[in-house]
Amino acid sequence: MALSGIQIYKMLPRTNCKDCGFPTCLAFAMKLAAKQVELALCPHVSDESKAELAESSAPPIRLVTLSANGNSVKAGNEVVMFRHEKTFYNMPGLFLRVKDDLSPEAIKAAIAPAEAFKVNYVGIDLTMDGFAVESVSGDPATFAAAVKATRGATKRPLVLISGDAAVMAAGLEQLDGEAPLICSANSDNWEAMADLAKSHKAALTVSATSLDELAELTGKISAKGVEDLVLDPAFRQLNSSLIAATQIRRLALRKNFRALGYPMITFPGDAGDVGRVSVQAAQAIAKYAGFVVIDEFLPEMVYPLLVLRQNIYTDPQKPIQVQPGLYEINNPTADSPLLVTTNFSITYFSVANEVEGAGLPAWLLVTEAEGMSVLTAWAAGKFDSERIAKDVKRFGVAEKINKKQIVLPGHVAVLSGELEEDMPGWEIRVGPREAVDLPGFMRDAL
Amino acid sequence: MAEHTVVFDAAAEVSVPRGTLLADAARKAGVEISQPCGGQGRCGRCAVKVTKDGVRRRSTLRLSAEDVEAGYALACQTVVEGDTEVTVPAQEKIARLLTTDRTVAQVQVPTGYSAAADQTIKRFGLTLTPPSMVDQTDDWSRFTAGLRQQAGIELGHISLPLMRQLGAVLREGEWQVTVVLDLAEEAAPRLIAALPGLLPDSAPLWGAAVDIGTTTVSLWLVDLLSGEVQVQTAEYNRQISRGEDVISRIIYGSKNDGGQEMRGLVLESIGQLLERGCRRAKIDASEVMKMTIVGNSTMMHLLLGIPAASIRLSPFVTAVNQVPPFRAEDVGIGIHPEATVDCIPGIASYVGADITAGVLSSGMDDTESISLFIDIGTNGEIVLGSHDWLVTCACSAGPAFEGAGVMHGMRATRGAIEEVWINGSTYEPSFRVIGGGQPQGVCGSGLLALLAEMFLTGILDKGGNLNSSLPTDRVREGEHGLEYVISWGHETKNGDGPANDIVITRVDVDNLIRAKASIYAGFTILADSVGFPLEAVDQVLVGGSFGKYINVEKAVQIGLLPDMPWEGFQFLGNTAVKGAYLALLDKHARARISDIASRMTYIELSADNSFFEAFTSALFLPHTDMDRFPTVAKALQPELETEE
Amino acid sequence: MPIEIPKDKWPGSVREITLGATAADGGTRTSTVTVGGEKALPYMHFEAQMPHKPVIALEIRDRLPDDWSTLLLEHWGDTAKDPAAWAKAAEATGVELLQLTLSLTDADGNPNTPENAVAVVKSVLAATGLPLLVFGTGQAEMDNVLLVAVAEATQGERLVLGICEDKNYRTIVAAAMANGHLVNGRTPMDVNLSKQLNILISDMGLPMDRILMDPTTGALGYGIEYGFSVMERLRMAALQGDSMTQQPMLVTPGFEAWKTKESKVGKDVPAEWGDWLKRAIHWETMTATALIESGADIVVLRHPESVKRIRVAIDELSAVPEMA
Ligand code: SF4
Repeated sequence: MALSGIQIYKMLPRTNCKDCGFPTCLAFAMKLAAKQVELALCPHVSDESKAELAESSAPPIRLVTLSANGNSVKAGNEVVMFRHEKTFYNMPGLFLRVKDDLSPEAIKAAIAPAEAFKVNYVGIDLTMDGFAVESVSGDPATFAAAVKATRGATKRPLVLISGDAAVMAAGLEQLDGEAPLICSANSDNWEAMADLAKSHKAALTVSATSLDELAELTGKISAKGVEDLVLDPAFRQLNSSLIAATQIRRLALRKNFRALGYPMITFPGDAGDVGRVSVQAAQAIAKYAGFVVIDEFLPEMVYPLLVLRQNIYTDPQKPIQVQPGLYEINNPTADSPLLVTTNFSITYFSVANEVEGAGLPAWLLVTEAEGMSVLTAWAAGKFDSERIAKDVKRFGVAEKINKKQIVLPGHVAVLSGELEEDMPGWEIRVGPREAVDLPGFMRDAL
Repeated sequence: MAEHTVVFDAAAEVSVPRGTLLADAARKAGVEISQPCGGQGRCGRCAVKVTKDGVRRRSTLRLSAEDVEAGYALACQTVVEGDTEVTVPAQEKIARLLTTDRTVAQVQVPTGYSAAADQTIKRFGLTLTPPSMVDQTDDWSRFTAGLRQQAGIELGHISLPLMRQLGAVLREGEWQVTVVLDLAEEAAPRLIAALPGLLPDSAPLWGAAVDIGTTTVSLWLVDLLSGEVQVQTAEYNRQISRGEDVISRIIYGSKNDGGQEMRGLVLESIGQLLERGCRRAKIDASEVMKMTIVGNSTMMHLLLGIPAASIRLSPFVTAVNQVPPFRAEDVGIGIHPEATVDCIPGIASYVGADITAGVLSSGMDDTESISLFIDIGTNGEIVLGSHDWLVTCACSAGPAFEGAGVMHGMRATRGAIEEVWINGSTYEPSFRVIGGGQPQGVCGSGLLALLAEMFLTGILDKGGNLNSSLPTDRVREGEHGLEYVISWGHETKNGDGPANDIVITRVDVDNLIRAKASIYAGFTILADSVGFPLEAVDQVLVGGSFGKYINVEKAVQIGLLPDMPWEGFQFLGNTAVKGAYLALLDKHARARISDIASRMTYIELSADNSFFEAFTSALFLPHTDMDRFPTVAKALQPELETEE
Repeated sequence: MPIEIPKDKWPGSVREITLGATAADGGTRTSTVTVGGEKALPYMHFEAQMPHKPVIALEIRDRLPDDWSTLLLEHWGDTAKDPAAWAKAAEATGVELLQLTLSLTDADGNPNTPENAVAVVKSVLAATGLPLLVFGTGQAEMDNVLLVAVAEATQGERLVLGICEDKNYRTIVAAAMANGHLVNGRTPMDVNLSKQLNILISDMGLPMDRILMDPTTGALGYGIEYGFSVMERLRMAALQGDSMTQQPMLVTPGFEAWKTKESKVGKDVPAEWGDWLKRAIHWETMTATALIESGADIVVLRHPESVKRIRVAIDELSAVPEMA
C-alpha cells in the first residue's frame, strides 16, 4: 500500500535538519510519498523505517525494453488502471509486420514507406516504432533472409515471430547486439524459446488463451532466468481482449500478482478488414497494450493511431489546454473584431461560448500560455505583450482582418501600454473582465 | 379544539387553539417579535424564553442545547400545546444567544506579560550631576556613566543625530533625562531616544503593531509597559489603486518608478493610520518607539523598497525572508526616527510573515490537537497541523470577503451591512448595520450572509445564477446582468434614486463564489497532500480582516467552511496583526515565530491539476459533492415535521 | 489453483432512460430506445450483465449545412437538401436514433423561426419512426424560442431537447418538463460541471430519467484525452453511487471529428496524412471508439461508413465472450 506523506513523516527522525536538501522532514516525506526522491537522501533514517519504506516499492508491471542501434521502445512500469489516477507512462510501440513469404526486395519495399514515415503533431514527430517479421514459410533460411532484409531496411527494434525454435534461432542469428522481442512461447515450445531468449538477450512473448495458462508459463520461464516477458492473451475479439487486458492489469496492480506483471502485445493486424483493424488498434492503445502490431501500413490510419496514443499518454495532471491559434466564431469576416485570450481550456470555452451563444462573429486569438488562465498566466509572465504580439504574427492574424484592433481581457488592462509599443499601428482595446460581459461590450463598444 | 392561554412578558394575554405557532399567538397579542427570515426557523431572531412550559419545539436549529435547557424556543418553530408563559428578550440579547455567530474575542494582554522580562524596549529615568568647574566630564561620558551606574547598561549604539541633540536635551531637562533603549541585541544596547526630564513610571511607552494586508492595513497602538492595546484602526491599502492583487503590485512595482510609488503608497497608508491612531491616543507619533510589522512577502518587499520581481517568476524566490531590524527613519515611517522597525520573517514567496504571525497568535503550533487555520484574505492562507508538524499553502481568493472588488462592498466600518436575512416568501431583506443607521454598503460578513440567504431562499440556484422569475422587484436586470436590490436608494446614506440602490450583481456573486471556492479547495488539497483526512481536524480557526464576526452557519451553507460541528470553530479576527502585537510585546513570542518559520512546510498548490479540480467542484453552492455538507442538505429539504 | 480474478462490485448503476414514445405512450414513434442501466464499467461482462448496448445516432440538419465538410455533403448529395429525405436515408443506415440540428438562419441568411423549426421537426417525425433528438443552434436566445415551440408542437414524443448549458437551461428544461420531453445537458469537459448541471436541472423538478448528459469530448488530436478521462470518471462516480452522475452519456464524435482540420481539409496538407476520405472516416471512428471504451451510451455520428464500423465494434464489444 502506498503510504501518505504524514505516515512516512512519522517514520522519519523529525528533526528538520535539512541534510536531505528539503526544508523539513515533512517536505521530504511528501516527496517520498510522491515517489519523486530516494529514501537514501536522508542519512538519519532508522533501519527499521528503512525496511518498512522499501517494501512495496518494486514496480508491479515489469519494464521491458526492446532496442536496436540506439533506438528503443519501452513498455511496462505502469501504475494505474485509469490515466486520470496518475498517468500512463510508456506509450505502446506501433510495429508493422512483414512475413517471410515475401521476397527480400518485397520486404524492403513494404518497410520503406513505414520506415520513412514521420508526421508532425503539435510539434512532436510521430513515427513507427519498429517492425515485426513473421515466419510463415517454416524454413529457417527463408526466415533468416527475411530478417536480414528487414534489418537492412530499418534501424528500429524488431519483433521476430515463429513458434519453431529452429526457425527463430536462424532469425536471431541475423541480429547482433540488440534486444529484440521474440514471439511466442507456448506450452509446447517454451523451454526452447526461453533458452533462445536467454542466449540472445531477447525479450520473450508468452502466449495462451487463458490467464491461468499464461501465469503458469511465465512462472516456469522466469524460473529459468528469463525475466523480460511480454504477454499475449491470444484473444482476437474486442470484447475478450478488452476483458483479458483489464484482468491482467488489475491482477498486477491490485494484487501485485507477479506472474502477470508484464506488458502485453496485441495483433490488430489479424483482424484483416481495415475497419476492424483500426478499431482494435485504437482499443489496444486506450486499454493497456504495450506493443501493437499491424499488417498494413496505411498512413491515413497510422497517423490517427499515433495521435490517439499521444493523447491517451498525455499527463493528465497538466492543465487542460487548447491548441493555440486563431479560432473562428460564428463565421467571422475580415471586419469582425479580434479578441485574445489564453489557451487554458476553461478560459477558452467561457469566452468562446459567450460570444458564440450571443451569435456575434469574432476572431479569437488563443495564445500559448502553457494552459494557464488569463490571470495566472499573466502572473507567471506567460501572457504578456511580447507573447501576444508574437502569436499575432505566428498565426497570420493581420492577413485575416481589416481593422488592426485587438481586444484584451479586462483583467490584463495593464498590458495595453506595452502592447501599443510591441504592436505599432494597432489599436489596443480593453474588454470586460468577465466573459459574460463580452457580448454587451462587443455590441456597444466595438 | 382545545384553547390555551399564552401570556407574553407577564402582560399581554391571548387565548389560541392548540397547535398555534407562538409567533402567531404573539401577533394576536400585539407583541412584536421580529422574523427577518420570514418565519422559516433560519435566522434565530425570534427566540423567546418560555417560562411556563406548554409548547413543543419543531426545530431548534439555531439554539444550543443549553439555550433550550434554559427555556429558549424559536417563536416561528414552536407550537402551543398547553398554557404557556413567554418572555420576549431584547434583540441584543438574542444576538448573543445565536450559537453560530462567532465574534472575535477582545484582545487580552498575554497572561504573565512582564515588560521587565519580555520587552526589548526599555525606558529609564536618569538624574545626572550637572557639570561644574570641578567636574568637566564631557556630556557623552556623563550620560553613559549615568546609564551604566543607574540602569546597569553599557550603551552599544547611538546615532549621530542623537549625539548632536544630547547636550541640549540634558540641559533642557536640567540634567534629568529619560532614555529609551532597544535591548534586543543584548551585547549592544541601542539608544532610541533621550528626552529632557523625567516621566512618571505610569506613563505609557508606545509601540505599534502593523499588518500590511494586500487589501487592508491594520495598526494597533500598544503600551509596551502594560501590554495593553490602546487603539485599533484599519484602512484599505492605498496600493489598491495600482492593482488588487500582489501580482499586479509586483508588476507595477517593477516598472520605472513603480517601486518608489508603491513604497510611497503603503507608507501613506501607514501614516494615515498612525495619524488617526495617535489622535485617538492623544499622543505625538514621535512617541512611538517600536513598530513590529507583518505582511505577505510582496508587501514587505514593497514597503522596504526591495525589488519584488523575483517573487512572481519561476523559481519564485524572494529577495529576503528574514529582514534585520531597521531605524524608522530609514524605512520612512513617521514615528520616532530612531525607533526600531522589526519586520517579522516569512518563509517563501507566497508564505509571508502574516502566516507565521498568524500561526503564533492562533497558538496551533503549541498543541497536540490538529488545527486547521484559515486566514480569509485577498490571499487565502491556510495552515494545517499541530506542535508536531505544520503545512501551509496560499490560494488567491481575491478581496471580495474584505468588501473590495464587489459593487457595493466596503470595509467593516460604520455604515456597513454586516448581517442579512431574507424572507423566504416575500424575498424582502432585513439587515443589521454597523453602528446602526442607514447603510452605505456591505462588508465581508454581510456579503457572506447575503450569499447564504439568497441561496437558501432560492434567489440563487446552486450554480450561483439569479432567478428572475420570482415574485419580487428586487431581482432585476442591471448593467452586469441580473442583480438583487438589498436596499433601495432612499433607505440608504447614498440618497434617493435607483443609482443609489445597494445591490449585489451576478458578477459580485461569481466573485464571492470564486473566493470561497478557492479557499475551500485550498484547505481540502492541503489536507489531501499530506494524506490527512479533513474530518479528523480537531478545530477550525478562522482568521481574516473582513469583520468583527462571522456567522459560521452561513459560512458553511455557502461552502466556505467545512461542515463540522459548530463548536469546533473559533473566529480569531485579524490574526496577522495580533501576531505582530504578540511579537511586539514579547521577545519569546518573537523567537517562537522564527521557530514556526523554520519548521512549517510549504505546499505549492499550482503544481498540478488537483487544485483546479477541487476549485471547480467548490464553484457551486455549497459544493458539487453535497455529501460533504450534510447539514446544508438537510436545511434545503422541505421541512419534515416529526410528530411526537 | 486457478487465478482469482478481482471483480468490482459497484453499489450504484447508471439510470435507464427511454427515448421516444410510441402511440401507446402518447407519441408517434414506431420504436423506442432505452439506454443506460450499466452496473459495471464498459463491457466488463464478467462482472455484470450489460442491459443495453450503446446506440448510434446520425446527425442531420434542418437544411443543407454550410459548415460541413464537402466529403459529407458529397456523400449525402441532394438528400441533404430535404430534412425528411435525409432522415429517411439516415434511418436506412441502421442507426437507432436521429439527431436533428437546427440552423441559425435559412439558406438566404434570414433568422430561423419557430414556425420553420416546428415544420421541419414535424416533417422529420413523419418521415421516420425513430426517436429524435432536436438540438438547437447553440445560441441561447434563439434556442429558447425555437425549442419551446418545437417542444410544444410535439408534446408527448419524448424527444431529446438539446442543448442545456449551465448558463442557459431553465427555459429548455421547463419546456421539456411541460411537454413530456427529455433534455441533453452539455458541459465543457469537466466532471464537476457535468454533475453541477445535472443538479441544477433536477432542482427544477425534471425527473432524472429524462436527463442525458454530454460531457463534451473533443476530437482525436483535439483534447479527446480529457473527454475520455472525464467520461471514465463520471462513469465510476455513477457506479460508486453518486446519484447526480448516473445519467447515460451522449457524445458527438461526428461533430467533433468533422470539425478538425484532418477531416475538413483535403488540400495542402502533409502527404503523411494519407487519403483524405479514408483519414476522415478513421478520425471519426477512432474518436468514437475511444468514447465507447470510456462509457458512451449514445454516439452521434455523421458518416454512414463510420456508422458501419462503430456498429461492428459495439456488437463485438457488447457480446458476452465465452471466457466471461
Ligand atoms: S535529512 Fe532526514 S532528518 Fe534531516 S530534514 Fe531531511 S528527512 Fe528530516
